[in-house]
Order: sequence, then C-alpha cells, then structure tokens
Amino acid sequence: MNTLMRWIGIAVVIFIAAPLVIVVPMSFSTAASLQFPPPGYSWGYYQQFFSDPSWLRPAWNSIYIATMNTLLTMALVVPATFALVRHKFWGKSFANLMMMMPMAVPHIVMAVGYYSYFGELKLVHSKLGVILAHSCLSVPITFLVLSANLKGFDLTLERAARSLGATPGQVFRHITLPILKPGLAISALFAFIQSFDETVVAIFISGRDAETLPRKMFDSIREEADPVIAVISTLLFAVVFAGLIAPSLIKGLRRMAGGTPSK
Amino acid sequence: MSAYLRLAGVNKTFGNFTALGHIDLEVEKGEFVTFLGPSGSGKTTTLMVIAGFEKATRGEITVADQSLAHLAPQERNIGIVFQNYALFPHKTAAENVYFPLQMRKVGKKEGMKKAAEMLDLVGLKGFAHRLPKELSGGQQQRVALARALVFEPDLLLLDEPLGALDKNLREQMQIEIKRIQKRLGVTTIFVTHDQTEAMSMSDRIVVFSNGAIEQAAAPLDIYHRPATRFVADFIGESNLLEATITDAATGKAHSPVLGEVTCGAEGLPPLTDGQAVSLLIRPEHLKLSREPKEGRQNAQMVIETIVNYGDNAVVIGHAGDQQIRVRVPGADVVILKEGDSCHFSWTADAVFVLDK
Repeated sequence: MNTLMRWIGIAVVIFIAAPLVIVVPMSFSTAASLQFPPPGYSWGYYQQFFSDPSWLRPAWNSIYIATMNTLLTMALVVPATFALVRHKFWGKSFANLMMMMPMAVPHIVMAVGYYSYFGELKLVHSKLGVILAHSCLSVPITFLVLSANLKGFDLTLERAARSLGATPGQVFRHITLPILKPGLAISALFAFIQSFDETVVAIFISGRDAETLPRKMFDSIREEADPVIAVISTLLFAVVFAGLIAPSLIKGLRRMAGGTPSK
Repeated sequence: MSAYLRLAGVNKTFGNFTALGHIDLEVEKGEFVTFLGPSGSGKTTTLMVIAGFEKATRGEITVADQSLAHLAPQERNIGIVFQNYALFPHKTAAENVYFPLQMRKVGKKEGMKKAAEMLDLVGLKGFAHRLPKELSGGQQQRVALARALVFEPDLLLLDEPLGALDKNLREQMQIEIKRIQKRLGVTTIFVTHDQTEAMSMSDRIVVFSNGAIEQAAAPLDIYHRPATRFVADFIGESNLLEATITDAATGKAHSPVLGEVTCGAEGLPPLTDGQAVSLLIRPEHLKLSREPKEGRQNAQMVIETIVNYGDNAVVIGHAGDQQIRVRVPGADVVILKEGDSCHFSWTADAVFVLDK
C-alpha cells in the first residue's frame, strides 16, 4: 500500500512537472521555432524578449492590469467577505451565489458579454475595460480564500481586545487585520495571478492598446511558434517559484540570525 | 458596607427563550465569587452581560454605584480571562500584556515595564518574548491572567479558564489564581461547572440553574445547607430520599425506604405534619455494618457496585428501588462484596430536610 502510494505520488509529480521540464530547455534553444529537444543552447531568445518592444509592452500592460485588478478586487471583496461571513441579512445566500458566479460561467461567455456591453460604454480596447472584466473574474477565488480565512478567525480574540479597552476600529487595526494578513496576501496573490493568466477575455477586449502578455503569446503561437514564449513561461515559472520559496527562505534566514527564539 | 457589584433584576431573553429569569446579586469589593451550574444554566450569559457583550433585556448592573448600562465593553474596565485564553497569536507574551495599556495610551517603555512586572507576578519571568504558540497551556493561561489584570480592572471575570488543563496543572492554577487575586484584592467572578474548583477557590458560590440563582452562599453552607433539591443534588454526592413529615415538632418523618427517621434540628425549615419533603444524607455520613448499629438509625441495602478510589471507596447499593451511596474508608472496603446484604446507619444530625 505504502509503496503503491509512493509510486502514484511520483507519477503525479512527473505529470505536473513535465511541461516545465520541456519548456525550460526550449527557452534556451537556438531553433527558429519551438522544438524539443533543442538542437543547441543560447541566451538569444532572452535577449530578444528584453529588447523587443512588441514583447515588453504587453508585459508591462499585464503587470499594470494585474496590479490594478488586485487593488480593485481586494477593495470589493474584503468588505463583502466580512459582511457575508460575519453578518446575517436578507438575501445573503443569493449574494453568496453571485460572488461565485463568475467561476461557474465559462470565460468565453463572459468575454462575449463584456465585448458587447463594454462596446456601448466605449471600454473595449482599453486597459480600464480589461481591469474591470478581470476584477469580476477574480472575485470568486479571492472570496473563497478570504472567507475560509475569516471563518477560521476566532471571534473571542476581538471580544478579548474589546474587554481590554480597544474600540472596534482599534480592534480591526491591531488584532483582526494583522492576524488576517497572510490570508489577505494570498487572496491578493490569487487575484494578481488570475488576471496575469487570463487569456480569453483579454483576447476579446484588450485590443492593441491594452494587449496583455497571454494574448500576445496566443497570437504569437498561432502565427509563428516563436520560442520567446518559452522564455516568458520560464520567467513566469521562476517568479512564481521565487514567490513560493521566498517566505520560507526569509524565515530560515531570520532563524539563523536568531531573531525569533525557538522553543 | 454596600455592595460593589450589584445586579438588580437582570433578565435576558433571546426571542422566546429566557436565558436569564431575574438575577439579583450583590458582590462585595475584593470578594471571590464563583458562578457554578450545568451548561446552559445562565452563568456564562450573566458574565457576558456584566462584560457588556450581551445586553440585558431588563434590569440594571452597577459597579461602585455607577450604572454600566451605557458603557461599551471597552469602557467598562473589566478584565476577562476567556476559556480558550484568547491570546493574540501575532503578539508576544509581553506585547499581549502591554495591549490594554497601549489602548490606555500608556507609553511603550513604561507599559512594557509594567507588563514585565505583571508577567513576573504570574510566574512567567523570562517568557516575555515568546509567542503564544511557543507556550504551554498553563503558561498561556498565566499570560491571559496577567493581561486581564495589568490595567487594574474594577472587576476580573474568569470564564471556565481551567477547563482545558489537565488535573495536576488545574490544581496548581487554582492555587495560583487564588494567590494572585488575594494579593491584588481584585473583585473576581469565576465561572465553572466544576464543583471542586468552586469549593476550593471561592469566598462565595452562586449556584445557577435554568437561568435563575438557586442559592448564593459560602462553600460549606452550600454543601451542608443546600437551599434546594437541585443544589443538594448538584453539589457533592448525595442520597436524596422521599419522605413525609409525621411529627413536625420533633422532626420525625416517614420514608418508604428508611422507615421512621429523626431529622437533624439544625437548618430545619418550618414544617407541617403530612408535608412531603426530600431528605438529604451525604454518602460520607452513612456507615455500613453487618448488623444494625446501636445508637444509630439503621436500614438495609444490597451492595451492587463498589467504586475504589484508593484512600476511600463509594459503595453503591439498593434499598428497595432507591439507590444508596455510602463513602467508606479504603481499608474497610476489603470485607465488602458485591451482592452482599448489609445495614447502613446514620445519626439524626446527618439528615437534612429539603422542600420537595
């Protein structure tokens, strides 16, 4: 049983890691198009990515849109989550359902909706349009992460703080917010990644001015299978990987420095 | 001396459900009062009303003759130790204790110094920089106590604070809490459903049942002179037997199980002939013997179970369909066997009469 589980585990890891194993070598390829295994290795496509405005502009667009999307999503979802988790009110279950709706509706349906609706509002082909659309799509995942966090939050802590002399505002600032910080950070990260990853809606409404990286990659793959997209994939992977290991790395360094005494 | 904390006609309803009927209670300054009762009896609700987390439907609460009615919880200056301690997980022990001072605009330097002194008092010197998760249950408990006391509250409320600790630690903390409370002289209300805890710590015990106070008295009074059948049953082990008063003047009663019984004179309520009453005899006031004992009142029972505690044992038997519990010294138990028939005996002053 134990050995079987171990082999299944290994198989799953290989299955998940396989695309990465292929993409990373291809980004260093000398071939003119995507090819595996690569005929030779070079930094060529990295140089091309960092010098070609037709790649850099969508990259900056994506970062800008994802950042704005994160801010907007959090501004909407944080108060909504507090209301939905902590309070009872008429129409609550309907509101809950609506928060999850964007996850249930296929992106292509949403995209068509935005295209026609935003067309009238002159928001198609604008960054604002993409930000608004992406925020709507980011709501379910941020709400899920945050509400799970908030449900696990011990309300006695807030009572304790009140009994110790804190006003509700002080309780939020000194107790609730700091304790929820990791949850807030993770849900914000999800909102960012959701927007950064999103392709379907971006293809429909981003146009040339607000072109995002996934849209550019999609166009590129359709037209020429440019190995630059392997470069981008590798870079994204590196960023995410760094983001995941950074916290534990910092913790480890702090421990080595003796900042927090261990038990 | 007038009461320091006064609850006058405090009533609390949730919709149709009455959580607190009509609570009248006075607590002296510096007194250690325990609210004792089964869960759902209203003891914690009363505590929460005092703390300000629940609003009384009717009635008034005053501390030093000042009404608490219009004060929010943070304005009441009441220290609370919660059942799960409710330590702030992102703050160290010292920062937790400093928090109430911080909220009172005490500067960091002075506040942290006071926090350190308080941690000292509760026996946590050298643990100031630990996070709650790096402390044991008992240590967390001490931090919570220090935090609730550091701002010199008018009242200290403890909501079943020892529930999560193991037996030895619990006894240690009972002594510790009592010591600190005496030293600081803070008026304290302690909520528990553990009667030994209530017995060992309190100046006075308030027994709650169904949202009402059954009795408020010193621990030994509660034990020896329970006001109601509920208190007699809830506090300590008890034999409660149905009986009818046959001669009120001499305190004679007839019990179907015990036969003719003479009741102790002390604490007898006014009785009338023919009145139906309950007789309370504590298990330690009964004696077992093979033959009826001279000079004592006797009855017969069949031994059913013997529960050994080492230094003593409880013998559970049946007299008719009435269960009888007898506490005997551990050494005596060896001669007893389950299934044996024997006599149990008592004296008149061991019989306490209760309204039915």
